[in-house]
Amino acid sequence: MNQIDYTIEPQIIEGNPTQSQVNDAIAKPLETKPTWKYYLALGISVSMLLTGAICLGYTFYYGLGLWGINQPIGWAFDIVNFVFWVGIGHAGTLISAILFLFRQKWRTGIARFAEAMTIFAVMTAGLFPLIHTGRPWLDGYLFPLPNQHHLWVNFTSPLIWDVFAVSTYLTVSFVFWYIGLIPDLAILRDRTKSKVKKIIYSIFSLGWRHSNTHWHHYEMIYLVLAGFATPLVLSVHTIVSFDFAVSILPGWHTTIFPPYFVAGAVFSGFAMVQNVLIVIRKIFDLEHIITLDILEKMNKVMLATGMMVGYAYGMEFFIAWYSGNPLESFVFINRAFGNYAWAYWIMVSCNVIFTQLFWIKKIRRSIIPMFIIGVLVNVGMWFERFVIVVTTTSRDFLPTSWDYFKPTLYDIGILIGSFGLFFTLVILFIRALPVVSISEVKAILPNSQPKHH
Amino acid sequence: MDKKIWKSLDELKFPVKSQINKQIEFQDSVKEEFDPNQLTGISRRKFLAISAASFALTTVACTNYRDKGEIVPYNQKPENVLPGKSNFYASTCTGCSNHCGILIKTREGRPIKVDGNPDHPVNKGKICATAQASILNLFNPERYKKPLKNNNGKWEEIEFLAAFSSLLGAINKAATEGKEIAIISKPIFSPSFAKILNDFKTKFPNTKIYTYDFLEPYPKQRAWMDFYPNQNPKDLDFSKAKIIVSLESNFLANEGNFVRNISDFVKNRDVNSPQNFSRFYSFESDLTLTGANADYRIPLHPSQYTYLLGTLINEIINSNKLLVNNFPLEQLRSKFSIFKLNEFVKENNIELKLIKRLVDDLLANQGSSIIIAGDSLNYEAHLLTYLLNEILGNSANYRPKALPVLSKSSLEEFSILSNSIQNGTVGLIINLDCNPIYHLPKDLGFQNNFKKVSDVFSFLESENETAHYSTTIIPISHNFESWGDYYDGIAVYSLAQPVIEPLYGTYQKESIILALVEGKMRNDNYHKYLKEFWEKEIFSKANTGVTFEQFWFSVLHNGVFVSSTTKTEKLVPDFSKVQNINISKGQKSWTMVLKKPYFLADGRFINNPWLLEIPHPITKVTWDNYLAISEKDANALKLISGDLVEIVYNGKKFEVPIFIVPGIAEKTLTIEAGFGQNNVGTIGSNVGFNPLVLFTKKELETGYVLSNISINKLDRKYKLASTVEHHSLNDTFVKDLHKSRHIIQEGTLESYKNGKFQVHRIKEKMSIIPEIKYTGIKWAMVIDLNKCVGCGACITACNVENNVPVVGKDQVIRGREMQWIRIDTYFSGSPENPEISLQPMLCQHCDDAPCENVCPVVATNHSPDGLNQMVYNRCVGTRYCSNNCPYKVRRFNFFDFRNHFANGFFYQDSLKLLNNPEVTVRSRGVMEKCTFCIQRITDARHTALAEGRELKGSEVKTACQEACPANAIIFGDMNDKNSEVSYWRNHQLGYFVLEELNIKPNVTYIAKLRNKLQEDKA
Repeated sequence: MNQIDYTIEPQIIEGNPTQSQVNDAIAKPLETKPTWKYYLALGISVSMLLTGAICLGYTFYYGLGLWGINQPIGWAFDIVNFVFWVGIGHAGTLISAILFLFRQKWRTGIARFAEAMTIFAVMTAGLFPLIHTGRPWLDGYLFPLPNQHHLWVNFTSPLIWDVFAVSTYLTVSFVFWYIGLIPDLAILRDRTKSKVKKIIYSIFSLGWRHSNTHWHHYEMIYLVLAGFATPLVLSVHTIVSFDFAVSILPGWHTTIFPPYFVAGAVFSGFAMVQNVLIVIRKIFDLEHIITLDILEKMNKVMLATGMMVGYAYGMEFFIAWYSGNPLESFVFINRAFGNYAWAYWIMVSCNVIFTQLFWIKKIRRSIIPMFIIGVLVNVGMWFERFVIVVTTTSRDFLPTSWDYFKPTLYDIGILIGSFGLFFTLVILFIRALPVVSISEVKAILPNSQPKHH
Repeated sequence: MDKKIWKSLDELKFPVKSQINKQIEFQDSVKEEFDPNQLTGISRRKFLAISAASFALTTVACTNYRDKGEIVPYNQKPENVLPGKSNFYASTCTGCSNHCGILIKTREGRPIKVDGNPDHPVNKGKICATAQASILNLFNPERYKKPLKNNNGKWEEIEFLAAFSSLLGAINKAATEGKEIAIISKPIFSPSFAKILNDFKTKFPNTKIYTYDFLEPYPKQRAWMDFYPNQNPKDLDFSKAKIIVSLESNFLANEGNFVRNISDFVKNRDVNSPQNFSRFYSFESDLTLTGANADYRIPLHPSQYTYLLGTLINEIINSNKLLVNNFPLEQLRSKFSIFKLNEFVKENNIELKLIKRLVDDLLANQGSSIIIAGDSLNYEAHLLTYLLNEILGNSANYRPKALPVLSKSSLEEFSILSNSIQNGTVGLIINLDCNPIYHLPKDLGFQNNFKKVSDVFSFLESENETAHYSTTIIPISHNFESWGDYYDGIAVYSLAQPVIEPLYGTYQKESIILALVEGKMRNDNYHKYLKEFWEKEIFSKANTGVTFEQFWFSVLHNGVFVSSTTKTEKLVPDFSKVQNINISKGQKSWTMVLKKPYFLADGRFINNPWLLEIPHPITKVTWDNYLAISEKDANALKLISGDLVEIVYNGKKFEVPIFIVPGIAEKTLTIEAGFGQNNVGTIGSNVGFNPLVLFTKKELETGYVLSNISINKLDRKYKLASTVEHHSLNDTFVKDLHKSRHIIQEGTLESYKNGKFQVHRIKEKMSIIPEIKYTGIKWAMVIDLNKCVGCGACITACNVENNVPVVGKDQVIRGREMQWIRIDTYFSGSPENPEISLQPMLCQHCDDAPCENVCPVVATNHSPDGLNQMVYNRCVGTRYCSNNCPYKVRRFNFFDFRNHFANGFFYQDSLKLLNNPEVTVRSRGVMEKCTFCIQRITDARHTALAEGRELKGSEVKTACQEACPANAIIFGDMNDKNSEVSYWRNHQLGYFVLEELNIKPNVTYIAKLRNKLQEDKA
């Protein structure tokens, strides 16, 4: 076995490219005409988006009755999708902010993309609380807008906390992402030959001249914003979990939810980033920048968070038994063996069992298996939210109010539409902005840092 | 000096050119060659004029101006009509033969609610669910509005007078031809109408009148007439009974005067006088609501009742403890000696000690027990029941039964009518608001026979099957638009009065028949006739000491007049008939029993969506009937709920879905009648299945039981809409959750009496929320589960009062029923013989309501008098409140159900009149729930305010409370220490459902006591 020399930092970027090669590689998708594959991908995702839009249009016209929700299951796909998409967003902030603060240089290859995903995922997620209401045209009531009637929102309701949590998250993520983009926009401004693009890039690069002062300020604000964003990683999903934890339903009313939700969010977010990056690095020849090492590291994070989630599953059962609350134990036994056992076992197998394959280095480092596991993790995490939201309400206190939820075509259409929206935004993004941070990558090139010997 | 002034350098340099330029005023635009004639013809003025005109036109065209009619204030206010104030009019319900007294609530001249008339002796202020919902039939948009003439299969609208004269012509034609005029009607309880019909008969001597009641218990009547010859049939008075034994009877739900039965029955279910508790044994093949309320319920195959009765009689007459001895003891002993108790219990798998205890109880309570036989039992069983009541000395527990003024026809008479039609001797059929094609046995062949009669006139409110076999349909008024009088044959005279002008200008049937007698139609003829009739026939005998006008208006006001003739005749039995009958032990073959429907009366309410959507009291199935089967039999036949089967009987086939119901007797299938009608309107057509296709005259005359049927499984499914999930009672995972969660708390009477039974209460509760003090009125409700029999009257009353929408079968399948109050049914014990617990569930108006703190927009909040309120306008519909409600009593408008149900059925003009104007009609996307009838609270508060006094909690009655025939619901101010509510709230049997959540609910349930011996408690 050959020894690893820990005195030398391992190279993050392969092939020792020059700075201009990095520029070329990353800016290529923005400067060349897209191939038919791009249009196919865009076509598919826009079709998905339209499917969702049509289903949503019908829902607005006829009412929520088109969905499968009922008494007692007041929330189903709407809130499942909301929590799922908010969760997807978490990987971005974790990678860009927390890993930045921890000086994890391997994040540079994926940070930009993960951040963009955060924004798109939160945008997608943010739609659901707005469309899930019975009278969406009155959604304005959910915001504390001063009005003549002196009607105010209810600050004890977790849904109001959601409004603040998600909007703050979206704002901070957006600012953070945009600040990070400024040096790259400047590079693109300098490279482009198109007049229109030049104007646009000039406006948005805010007169960046790569000067020392600029960099100085930039690094400072980036650090501050990373500091801002870091607690948000924890707080947003904590507050989302309060939607459930603050209620009195057994199965929702548990204190484990905040950490469990955050771990799950990071878990599913990493899976999504990994999935999409695998495609992008292949298509845009960025394999040397988004290297297998980076993917492997992400897989390790997934393995860790997956086990945290698995621990939470086990702990829920333990507490249900240990609390001695018969209602609580009923709910958890019902999850595993009751009317939605199939959903529960999809969740457990995808999230806990399959991710264990990442213990094997070979699987961790081979593209196709890790892609499949990533997809499974997202399926599993979607079902985790389904299990929490639907099975809990389907069998609550009084056996006479129990019922079974079956999704309708509209539910599925809107779920597809949410993926359509997300991927459409992603696909437009990769043609419009650099998917990898050019300036950050340059900073970690082997010859980039000043050498004193 | 000539000083040169220049304005520009150009002018200085080129003064001439510049001078020329100055003269051209419009240098660039208007040129020399400008010619106004080359322009278009429209001048500036004209253009402006056209613009103005088209603008004005557009403005006018876009306004949504419709002539909404003349709005006139009351120049002359109608007497007693005050906008915003309700008026109540006493009347009589004609939904079934009981003729309960009703109070119709009207607002600004339109009826909006029906309740019982407290002054009426028949029903004592309470009415059934069907009567509550009957108001929808008045506003039914599908009522006939104009007479229709059948012109070779096509219906043509004709004027009423044309229809009337053609009817008169048909009568005269039949009279001159010497052919029979057959009048088919419901039983006639109206003395004045009976007189009109008799006058008709006198004028047209060929007339024959046929009356029937659907599912008439012919064997029961025959047995009575044989056992008590020449004595009027009687009902039973359950308030006098200490021991009740019901055999296949559903006397608490749809047999006899069940509203009265419920209130009588619950008189002996008062936990404050445990010494007066009755003990109730029920033997039944089906699982009925009556059986669900029994202390001991024993499933028994339909063929075994004579055997059971024989065994009981044998045990009793051999006990030597009988107090009565006016019967031929030795003869009976020899007759019944073949019935051995040991054999009976063994063959039917019943515990021996149970029957022994029953016999002991009966012997110990001679004279204060009741044995009641259900309508579906055969002649022998009824005869033996009368015998058993007689030898136990129970004949004093009979009470008078209402009898029609004109005696009813037997099926034999209908058979003769059928033959006469075949022979061509019937010239005209007049169908008075009946549905003989659907009701009468199919082997009488009325379907074909009606076509053979040249004139069939049907007097109908709305479409039914018979309408399609008629030549002319004459629309008649609804009961609420009609005058009427009803006599119970003994002492009670009730009056019915119109509370609204006929909506469609129709006449009531009495009026038309009267006009036929008189030869011409006059408005208001029956009203005058009725008054004259009462003056002559009733007032003259009443000896009231007032003038007739005073008498008439006081009866009209009270709705009822009770004559003082209360003679009690002693019943004289005739034991000889018992000697002569053949009593068999019965063969347990596959048997199908026909049952009365719970809410549809004789099926005429099939087009009433409110009634179709009340969940079945036991199975909670809506919008259908089904074949009930026991779990064991279903397993043996490899059937599950919703499987379609084919029942074959005597070569006739009937396709129906099955539904597994616990507690059904072995080899027994039960089904409710009244469903499966064609052509009865958009709502009721083809709802359910019609089991009557299997029944012939012979079976209907001998009880509604088919034995030796065969069942074939079909490989098809049918979707039944149940409002609850059904689990097998053997499923240990969900078994008895209602007991372990203390939702249902029950004890035995014995353990309560000796102080051993304590309800589960949580004494020590801590809260981090500061307690809010309610100093004024605080509303609370108490539901006594000892009294609630689960009849469903509260559900309909609430629907009517609170404008609760109907959602339709598809939405019930999706789990979106909207009723604000539901009756939960819980089963415990074995699937073969479960114990049933019923519990009305509605918003509990918790003090610390979990729905309130999660609403993001404060649309649900708490009032200072302790109500959990909903602000519909503020609600955006996040449904979080519903998710967080542990009782799941909140209801969400997933659609605009008024629009979604049956293509906007409830948006039709006439149904808009049905809504209670005091209650908001909720829009789509809004959460709603029980409000404790806040509109009634507000109304009472306004009255108190106007009268300058404090509001008292006892002044408010909620709609469900008012409707409850058992008085199981008590509502009022819990802060008033003297109030009934506060008494019951602190009762030792009072408990809260899910008290451990510490959300402080305000509906107290009084734990049910079963009069069982402790050792029998599972």
